Amino acid sequence: MRWQSLLPGALAATLSLLSLGEAGAQGVTLPDVSREVLDNGAVLIVNEKREVPLVGIELVLRGGGVRDLQGKSGTASLYAGLLERGAGSRSAAEFAEAIESVGGRISATAELERIRISAEFLARDFELMLSLLRDMLYAPTLAEAEFDTLRQRQINFILAAKDSDPGALMPTYAAGFLFADHPYGNPLAGSESSLASITHTDVLDYHANEVGGDRLIISLSGDIDTAHAMVRLADVFGALPAAGQSLQPLAEPLTAIDGRVLLIDKPGATQTYFWIGNLGVAVDYPERPALDIANTLFGGRFTSMLNTALRVESGLTYGARSVLIRPSKQGSLGISSFTRTDASVEAIDMALDVLGALRNEGVDEDMLRSARNYVLGLYPMRFETARQLARQFAMLEFYALGTAHVDDYADALRAVTVESVAATVDAVYPARDELVFVILGDAEVIRDDMRRYGTLYELSVADPIFRLPFEEPLSEEPTE
Amino acid sequence: MSLYSELRRRNVLKVASLYIVASLLLVWLTWVARTQLGLPHWAEEFVVVLLLVGFPVAIMFAWVYEITPSGLKKAVDVDQTQSIVFKTGQKLNAALIVTVGLGVVAMVADRLLPDLAVPPPPEPPAEPTVADVADAALGGDVPAEIVSFTLGNGLRVIVWPDEDIPNVAMYNFVRAGGRNEYPGITGLSHFFEHMMFNGTSRLEPGEFDRIMEANGGSNNAYTSKDVTVYQDWFPRSALEVIFGLESDRFANLAFVDEVVESERGVVQSERRTVVDNDNFGRLFEQMFATAFVAHPYQFPVIGWPSDIASWTKNDLEAFYRRYYAPNNCTLVVVGDVSAAEVFQLTSSYFGPIPPQTPPEPVRTVEPEQEGERRLVIETDAQTPLLHVAFHGGSATDPDTLAMELLLNVLTEGDSSRLHQRLVERDALAISVGSYQQAGFDPGLIYFYLTLAPDADPAAAEAALFEELAAAIDEGVGDAELRKAKNILLADHWRSLATIDGKAEALGEYEVFAGGYEALFERPGSVEALTADALREAAARVFERRNATIGVLRSAESTDDEDPS
Repeated sequence: MRWQSLLPGALAATLSLLSLGEAGAQGVTLPDVSREVLDNGAVLIVNEKREVPLVGIELVLRGGGVRDLQGKSGTASLYAGLLERGAGSRSAAEFAEAIESVGGRISATAELERIRISAEFLARDFELMLSLLRDMLYAPTLAEAEFDTLRQRQINFILAAKDSDPGALMPTYAAGFLFADHPYGNPLAGSESSLASITHTDVLDYHANEVGGDRLIISLSGDIDTAHAMVRLADVFGALPAAGQSLQPLAEPLTAIDGRVLLIDKPGATQTYFWIGNLGVAVDYPERPALDIANTLFGGRFTSMLNTALRVESGLTYGARSVLIRPSKQGSLGISSFTRTDASVEAIDMALDVLGALRNEGVDEDMLRSARNYVLGLYPMRFETARQLARQFAMLEFYALGTAHVDDYADALRAVTVESVAATVDAVYPARDELVFVILGDAEVIRDDMRRYGTLYELSVADPIFRLPFEEPLSEEPTE
Repeated sequence: MSLYSELRRRNVLKVASLYIVASLLLVWLTWVARTQLGLPHWAEEFVVVLLLVGFPVAIMFAWVYEITPSGLKKAVDVDQTQSIVFKTGQKLNAALIVTVGLGVVAMVADRLLPDLAVPPPPEPPAEPTVADVADAALGGDVPAEIVSFTLGNGLRVIVWPDEDIPNVAMYNFVRAGGRNEYPGITGLSHFFEHMMFNGTSRLEPGEFDRIMEANGGSNNAYTSKDVTVYQDWFPRSALEVIFGLESDRFANLAFVDEVVESERGVVQSERRTVVDNDNFGRLFEQMFATAFVAHPYQFPVIGWPSDIASWTKNDLEAFYRRYYAPNNCTLVVVGDVSAAEVFQLTSSYFGPIPPQTPPEPVRTVEPEQEGERRLVIETDAQTPLLHVAFHGGSATDPDTLAMELLLNVLTEGDSSRLHQRLVERDALAISVGSYQQAGFDPGLIYFYLTLAPDADPAAAEAALFEELAAAIDEGVGDAELRKAKNILLADHWRSLATIDGKAEALGEYEVFAGGYEALFERPGSVEALTADALREAAARVFERRNATIGVLRSAESTDDEDPS
């Protein structure tokens, strides 16, 4: 140990020196694209990329889960699911057969603020892909029998997740508790209870009201001639009429009430899952580079402060992270991890201590340089395939961010200072007494311990809802 | 008096010989010191330059000066009758003999001491010729830029230069997995995967990740029943740093008690997540424990809880020596690199790591199953699970690709047979999937169904077996076969769209199919398969006596069921 203790520093220094200054040298410059706004308002973006014989396309429809009606969360999600289950002259089975018979892929998913149809086909099947996508937008069958089947299956998927993967449901519980009745709190895939109240008519209404050329972004990338693709896409999607309703801007979420604890009971659970956080920022947050650096250091990579404390140094968990969700309005920022039941308090307290350390001690130059290299070093891997590029261009268009969002990112990261990180941490990361806690575990064992974090509210995984009806809390007990 | 005889008389030639022999010895010692003690990379160059500069100085010195009984004097000032150059010459001869002797001893020691073994210089990567490619690919289209070579210590290296993005994906396949374990050390391969990030004799725990991330890289690793695979993704600027880190942990891993204990806790947490709190994981584990009675595929990769709690540092050290040897690994590097630089880096960073005696082969062969096996797990489950597994082949079994196509027909996508039957038509299941364990030894063909909450597992089982029987009796139609082939071909291209996908695919084929070239034969092999091949593969596998059937369900549902 004596002689070895001299060497680590030497080797570490050698290894670090070898690349000093180089990792920061690269950024990403987006390839050129053709962009056109069609008469019906649809935006068309095409990027030619010839490497493998594939074409990727993203159709994005503004709307999504935030447009679900009160008490009917999951409508957009069911609608998206039904788009894959029959369109034009094809039944559900025929539609799947048409895609799979050529090795293509089409998936339609509802996200919080949009419905996203993502397709990837061999370039030789471009016309087939177009005709399938056209049918999905213009003439989805939305058959009632398929609706019944899909709704029941979606309920069953929730039940299966409660059995086998409760951690996967934590973001849904957390959003519901944090955003309360703001649309950002809607359980995207619905709850057992909301799904049961959705009718076939609701889905037909969704199609009439929320789907149209004025909501549409079409982004294509792949092994195809740009001019040809522009003409064909304009032919196919230029005639889609406007949606029945215009999109109203969303309200900003209300400042969350801190000092609240939602305890979700899973009897017999051997571990406790937790989410601790509060409101975060929107996608256009001006200090994004400093925030990316801060969150990378706090909980965005393996050697982050959180993972180092909770996993590397104490072995309390398999992983601890801090997750930023940045939609068009203020999103969320939360610490997320899990631990064995009897270590629940130890792990949560440790996470809170790490948050305190970030806020009080900030970051130093070495940390800043390391995080900057890390973010920049892996950035190009998000722009590698045709599908990734199609998606990136669609998202830039969706949020009206402009290509500078990507092209200038490396320079913006280089401009971040220790001081700007500190200022961003102070502005975005909640203090100890501004937190909301969401905890899933064996309530009988951990309930008393959880009271120390604030006013306790309770749900059970057996309850058919993800979000407390706040007018009448299921149970409310004051702290101590 | 000729210049030559004067050079001889003044012992200049002897000094020159001694200087050269001693220099060679010194350079060798520096190399050993660098590779064994971790001196910086330029140490040898530095010593060589010093010695080269010193050579003319030594010669000039030998020419100008002479050793006399009264000390050092200029040769021209020495009375030649009193000169002792002959005696000095004898001493120089003796020194030369001693130095040469030391060199011989060092070379012998070099042979005898495995730690100091100097690997023979590897063949430099030649530019592949047309003949190479054609020969290797057997008609497949192996990209000409792929280069492979084997270091003297047995490390196999494959490089695929790809400048699409300024990044690199590096995979290291270690032939150590669950099949190399036995009761008492189950889960050790997986635990090892964790320990490989926890410090070496030169880097403190945590430094590996800290240095990698500070240089813009990230990493992960996974363990299967056959192999442990280490993955790095990084900007090309970090290439040499990554080679330094990877070779260090393969040569110098440290086992610190408190780190072992902390990591034990991490693995226990992982087990709670993927097994204890996951109904799928619980049933999956029991299925393998039931389907295999002899072969070590029966052990969960994560390990039995009692073994996780009790394996020792000695177990770890023995495992490291046995399996983490260059001759047991395959390194794949894909991205913005040249084959020449990867060759140079692997030679200097991995080259000095000594090979080890290859691990004993896994001898146990699973005896043929002689009847259906059943298991039931009763627990809280809102959605019951049905898993059905059959013994199948290994990665190189001639039926494996046919079975992959058949499984595609049965479960890939909403138009597949089992999805249409069990999910759409009978509404017994909410999802159905399959997987073929194609490893070093014969593995399982595995079906997993999540059932609808009120579905009868027996009905789902009956429907599944009916469909399997149909695959044997009626085979698959032309359109179905065409569809399955198209899906496999499109997936093939998707896997080659990223440097990460390329690295993984090259490694998988190199390790399991006997050569990365087979990756590029895949489209042709898929095309060549006939419906008959699928039917024959089905007939060989889907028999009741070859089946293990597992159900996970709530305890209360047993009340209304007849024991049968």
